Amino acid sequence: MLNYIWLSLIVIGILVAVAIDFRDISTDKFRNGEEIQTELIFDSPTPQLEKGKHYKCNISIPASEMQKIYRLPLSENLVQEAEIIVSNSNEAVIKISTDEQTPIIWRELAAAQRKDSHVLQGKIHFVKFSENVFNATLILNPVKFTKLNSVTNDGVVRYAKTAVELAIGLIGIMALWLGIMKIAEASGLITKLAGLLKPITTRLFPDVPPEHPAMGAMIMNISANILGLANAATPLGLKAMEELNKLNKKLGTATDAMCTFLVINTSNVQLIPATVIAIRAASGSANPTEILGAVIVATTVSTIVGITAVKSLSKLKVFRKQLLEGRQP
Amino acid sequence: MTTLIDIIQTLSILAIPSIIFFIVTYGIIKKVKIYEVFVEGAKEGFNVGVRIIPYLVAMLVAIGVFRTSGAMDFLTIIISPITNLIGMPAEALPMAIMRPLSGSGALGVMSEIINTHGPDSLIGRMVSVMMGSGETTFYVLAVYFGSVSISRTRHAVPAGIIADIAGIIMSVWLVNLIFG
Repeated sequence: MLNYIWLSLIVIGILVAVAIDFRDISTDKFRNGEEIQTELIFDSPTPQLEKGKHYKCNISIPASEMQKIYRLPLSENLVQEAEIIVSNSNEAVIKISTDEQTPIIWRELAAAQRKDSHVLQGKIHFVKFSENVFNATLILNPVKFTKLNSVTNDGVVRYAKTAVELAIGLIGIMALWLGIMKIAEASGLITKLAGLLKPITTRLFPDVPPEHPAMGAMIMNISANILGLANAATPLGLKAMEELNKLNKKLGTATDAMCTFLVINTSNVQLIPATVIAIRAASGSANPTEILGAVIVATTVSTIVGITAVKSLSKLKVFRKQLLEGRQP
Repeated sequence: MTTLIDIIQTLSILAIPSIIFFIVTYGIIKKVKIYEVFVEGAKEGFNVGVRIIPYLVAMLVAIGVFRTSGAMDFLTIIISPITNLIGMPAEALPMAIMRPLSGSGALGVMSEIINTHGPDSLIGRMVSVMMGSGETTFYVLAVYFGSVSISRTRHAVPAGIIADIAGIIMSVWLVNLIFG
């Protein structure tokens, strides 16, 4: 099942990116290579632009040009800060800094030219007009396959890095809770906890012996989840998985108890959604906690549905077979 | 209502220190060599962290491709006729799709919708409930199963998805019922 989901996320993602890129190419969305008539305005009189030198200036694009080229109805001329590097007597490389006023199409173009960039690059041909104004023809650097590029850079490369960072970041907190859990185990606290909730847990996890450490770890994980202690919940959950795996007769394949435990975790038995309340309060809600009742009911129902589903599905032949086939002694 | 927020905040600050304090004290009472036992348990932390890396990379890269490709808009168009039937506004649909995939992604979608529509609008409340009642199912699956090197997940995934869908339907229904 995870195979198909994994495959479809990647295949749908790439196909959609290709489709969007071909649409952009066929509609020439970014108007690659188009000449734009602009003015360069300098703060002080600049009689001559010398080769190899950098100059700061403002570039002004008439509203009529933006309308003609991008079909953008601007109410006034677009003025942006820019830096030019003169390469020839009448040619220069230009770097236009984008800001809030910049049309979205230019911001997208800037981001596509160079990753996470707020600078739009292009070439200009200029002719002196007056003391501090030059007429300039702007050609922005062309871009193509912008979506596929962002899939590669933002999707694949960045997420692979994030995954490792997440896993490494988990090590410290993992070590802390695994240590604490070991104390709880050695002192007999876990067994005690497991005994306390025996009537419920033996029904949920009939394959796990009631006094097994896995029970205690699962109870601690579920309690941490209910209280919204995400930092503690994951390490406790992983501890529980480790204990459950000791009962696993076919390594590499999930047991019924593991599936049930996972579904209880993914259906999020949380009573206090602290983050949501914080965001609502920060964005000026009159009553940030008014959603609490609905959250508790929704999450309870989803947990009940999840447990029912996991119990009924586990009886299906397809899933039984996976558990029994080729079982190691 | 501010008092309720205060209570929640105080609880979440106190919870972890109290649990640690309680377990350690209980260990001392039961004459456990707490320091040695702690270190022995903590040793495993590194191995677990490293063991989940391949599973997490596989899962997050697939989600990353899906998110950055613009497939979300595409999926929204396809599914919206169905979700309209259960009373979910099209604006809330990206939240329903994002919630099981990515925690940070869902948080981003929620903040954006709340900024656009306001926290006390019907859509704002709906995404709040979805955020609160949902979980990043695929992250949990990758990390939990990855930690014990399990790749044949059997019925965990379909059951997890059924629970997610139930949670979303309930969120929509409840918000329409209470605030609609």
